[in-house]
Amino acid sequence: MSFVNFKKKEVQLKIVYYGPGMSGKTTNLQVIHRMINPTARGDLTSVATSGERTLFFDFMPLVAQAFEGYETRFQLYTVPGQVIYNLTRRLVLRGVDGMVFVADSQWSKMAENAESLANLADNLALQRERLGDIPCVLQYNKRDVPDATPLHYLEYLLNNRDVQLPTFNAVATTGEGVFETLNMIARLVLHRFLAVNKHKEDGVRELVLV
Amino acid sequence: MSRTLNENTSNELHRTLCDLLVLSEADDCLLCDTGGYVLAREGDGDHDPYQMAALGAGVYGASRELARLLGEREFNVVLHQGTQKSIFICAVHADALLVIVFSQNASAGLVKLYAKPAAVAVRALLEDARRLAMEAEDLAGHPLVLNRAGPLFRAGP
Ligand SMILES: Nc1nc2c(ncn2[C@@H]2O[C@H](COP(=O)(O)OP(=O)(O)O)[C@@H](O)[C@H]2O)c(=O)[nH]1
Ligand SMILES: [Mg+2]
Repeated sequence: MSFVNFKKKEVQLKIVYYGPGMSGKTTNLQVIHRMINPTARGDLTSVATSGERTLFFDFMPLVAQAFEGYETRFQLYTVPGQVIYNLTRRLVLRGVDGMVFVADSQWSKMAENAESLANLADNLALQRERLGDIPCVLQYNKRDVPDATPLHYLEYLLNNRDVQLPTFNAVATTGEGVFETLNMIARLVLHRFLAVNKHKEDGVRELVLV
Repeated sequence: MSRTLNENTSNELHRTLCDLLVLSEADDCLLCDTGGYVLAREGDGDHDPYQMAALGAGVYGASRELARLLGEREFNVVLHQGTQKSIFICAVHADALLVIVFSQNASAGLVKLYAKPAAVAVRALLEDARRLAMEAEDLAGHPLVLNRAGPLFRAGP
């Protein structure tokens, strides 16, 4: 559920980084925070345990000039990956406009990846939404580990569907793939935002796919 | 579908929240939804409203789950009291919240007293806004044109 304030000339959109525990979701936000022009971002807030594991969520607002004359705010969230925090994940998913699923390329994490993706689908169903209706980008992270799972296996495991999700290979710790992923999900979210509001004749006059 | 606020509703919200601030002697007041979107903000606090909304919605959501554990339908308000600043959160309806920040010299009782009628007024405004949006009057006349100048976000200054 995006939000438009015509008086303030502001659009707000919500993007959630999802995936199993330790796959690199928080690292994605940290890298964006560190590398992006500081005028384009707010603070990165982490609600974490003392052991740095995400307890509640991480949050960081980004601002961009996506529409002429409007300020577009992307609210970036991560969820805690650990299985027991499912209630928290559901809270964070409320009103989501787009998702990045951060998969862990380590061979030992394949079951957790698949389980987390199934959990995402379940949680979306609870709010009467479906993976596939909401823009989602798959990030194959930790491509640098020695036992990195071959991409074709990741594709088979996580992206075996009629309409495939866009994918990016990443090494979040070095920043590789992080901005590519962010720009793709931002773009998909904007396109969907325009498309779902398009039936309101003239409301959105120009749908420019770039 | 998007949630939208037109100029009229924005102005009405502004008035309602300003009145609330004056009467309750609070410093800062934020209307957000349970997904963390900032719908309106009034007051003189210097904290980032987007952070406040994300955390406020999180806190309220967590407290609602706690209530459920105890067999309560929900706790109707959440109050955190500090030595300098306190925060009061109450539901406007199922998916919107008022987050009110007040300092030591205001009283929680006063905030609570005036938050209730303000929440009722805000609920009516939001319902009007929703109805307007349904009638498709809202995005009309507000063309949103996508900028196409390369990637939105870049590493580096
Ligand atoms: N080798 C490697 N380690 C990574 C990569 N991305 C994240 N990590 C590490 O994985 C651990 C968990 O990352 P974190 O972002 O906290 O995971 P989260 O639970 O998904 O938020 C941390 O020690 C990171 O430094 C990567 O691309 N390669
Ligand atoms: Mg984390």
